[in-house]
Amino acid sequence: MPASARAADPVVVLAAGVVTPIGTDLDTFWSALLDGRDGVSTIERFRVDDLRVGRGGEIKRVPVAHGAGRIECRASRLLLAAAEDLLRRRSLDAAPSRIGVVVGTALGGAEELERALDKDGRARRAGAALYDSPGRTLAHWLGARGPLLTLSTACASGATALGVGADLLRADRADVVVAGGFDILCRFVMRGFDVLRSLTRERVRPFDRRRSGLLLGESAALVLMAREGDARGARLGRLLGHASTSDGAHIAAPHPEGRGLLAAVHGALAQAGLDPNDVDFVSAHGTGTPLNDRIETAVLKAALGARAGAIPVNSIKAGLGHTMGAAATLEAIMCLLASRDGLVPPTLGYEESDPECDLDYVPLRARTVRPRVSLSTSLGFGGCNAALVLDGGPA
Amino acid sequence: MSGVALRGTDLRVVGVITGWGEGIAALPADAASAATGRSTLAIDWLPMPGERFRRATRECRLGVAAVQAMLDAAGLAREDIAGPGSALLYATAAGYGASNRAFIEAAATGSALHFPYTAPSAVPAEVAIEFGLIGAYVIFTGGATTTLEALAHAAGLLRRGECERALILAVETFRECEDLHARGRWLLRRPLVESAACALLTVGAGRLSIADGPGPADLGAAVRRRAGETLACEPLIALALGLESGDDRLCVTGEWRGRRLALEWSRSAAPCLQRS
Repeated sequence: MPASARAADPVVVLAAGVVTPIGTDLDTFWSALLDGRDGVSTIERFRVDDLRVGRGGEIKRVPVAHGAGRIECRASRLLLAAAEDLLRRRSLDAAPSRIGVVVGTALGGAEELERALDKDGRARRAGAALYDSPGRTLAHWLGARGPLLTLSTACASGATALGVGADLLRADRADVVVAGGFDILCRFVMRGFDVLRSLTRERVRPFDRRRSGLLLGESAALVLMAREGDARGARLGRLLGHASTSDGAHIAAPHPEGRGLLAAVHGALAQAGLDPNDVDFVSAHGTGTPLNDRIETAVLKAALGARAGAIPVNSIKAGLGHTMGAAATLEAIMCLLASRDGLVPPTLGYEESDPECDLDYVPLRARTVRPRVSLSTSLGFGGCNAALVLDGGPA
Repeated sequence: MSGVALRGTDLRVVGVITGWGEGIAALPADAASAATGRSTLAIDWLPMPGERFRRATRECRLGVAAVQAMLDAAGLAREDIAGPGSALLYATAAGYGASNRAFIEAAATGSALHFPYTAPSAVPAEVAIEFGLIGAYVIFTGGATTTLEALAHAAGLLRRGECERALILAVETFRECEDLHARGRWLLRRPLVESAACALLTVGAGRLSIADGPGPADLGAAVRRRAGETLACEPLIALALGLESGDDRLCVTGEWRGRRLALEWSRSAAPCLQRS
């Protein structure tokens, strides 16, 4: 980010809603994170016997949102379930034309494309296969007629969506924005990661010396945001800064020194008007692959300087699987809940330290600490990087 | 109608490649008659030298070619856009269809399209690698309204000083999924015309406004008439037509799946679309 950039107005996060493998509402999800519950299981919804790895964070029973019983697209059903959880906590207090929707996804309607390519595929399946179809279904269900965007910065999508949603509010394009991310487990993505040999047959162990790869998961996560001056009542916290950047280095692998991620961290802090000394907690991307965790550790040390070793860093992907487009939104929500309750969830699977991953990864159990400012980092295919700076302190 | 104006945005140039040829000069007066019954106007495989493009899909190559066309039209060198000061915003409605289909069908044939190329982010990734773009980066999926949102987002990045220039890139391919598009006639006009376009926005004296609903004039209609269905590329081709006309105010109305959005760019900071 050029040096002339200045701090942006904060945006308030009023409420959140989720559906995940470890809990199909926000409270259950949060309890499960603190308890260290493992949501990874054998995938049952589709055939996996021909894959190297057939486990993942599968949601065994997706709650059916009101009026959504006839929707066949699983991605849409997940989004609506998360939206219903959100609306149980906070209503959308704005005119329909002033309600924006911004969702991020790595896969869009890929499973619907598989169905559309079947001989018996019906015409509307072709439309459902478009990346923006689940987001359109969500906007329709919410009655939102304001800006509607579906972003796809791969596995950083859930962070980019929050950042772009905040930009819409700052630009006065909407009075409230429902933003977040989603993705489902399906044959398409399981086969893709299987071919890449990215999936582990062992336990996911972010930052652990024995880490051997990731497992995938499915989730949807949404937050309701408003401009700080317009926000009334209870709130989860504030989004202070965001940046999404390009590595410009490789189609699938991160830049070897994490160039783009470091730029994203600097950009998000600059937008927040903060410096690295203000960061109390880091929610890392932490996939559990040897490369990601090593590069991410190096980036955090470069960004946070001498304090890096004293700042708790966690990854919640071992218990959920890597939920792709939803991951960064879930992690942002986790940061705000950690501030609210004074508890940071542990990094499941982290037991043995690695000389190249030498930060404080919150092993074994939740830690009693109340971070105010959190940094959340994300990376994805295509050289996508994103960082969020969140403030969970009292209003 | 609600709308927002962003001052300080100059539209410098737009590079365009379509199934009709390179540049807007290649567009016919009437796409429907010029198509002579063809439902899709495809762009041939673009040869690119070097091992780096060995796995790159057709849509990736089109993205790279569109940025090069923009540079050529502006008289700029690659070094002029390389680095962290350039934002890259990419929009597509269907440009990932071919690679997704290829990957799905490879399960039956045993061939293996490289999985990361199925992601929409593959196109801007190849562009970013090729031109050294390491600044702000967002990928939008959807049709013409989505590209207008990308333009507005770029204007916001410029206004906040989060980039020095912004490249707004759109790519659409249709050939590999013609049968699927034929099922979606309710969504797509004919002929389908493969396209890639890249606009360059910089800080300047101009003003960009965006508002819900149709605008007072519409270059997008001219694109639909002259080029055919180009989805996310349509607003960029429209702006290219507008720049060539020399008009001080360019207005594009985008439509996608029942939503309409209007964007107006004026060379000076004179009022244009206003919030009411």
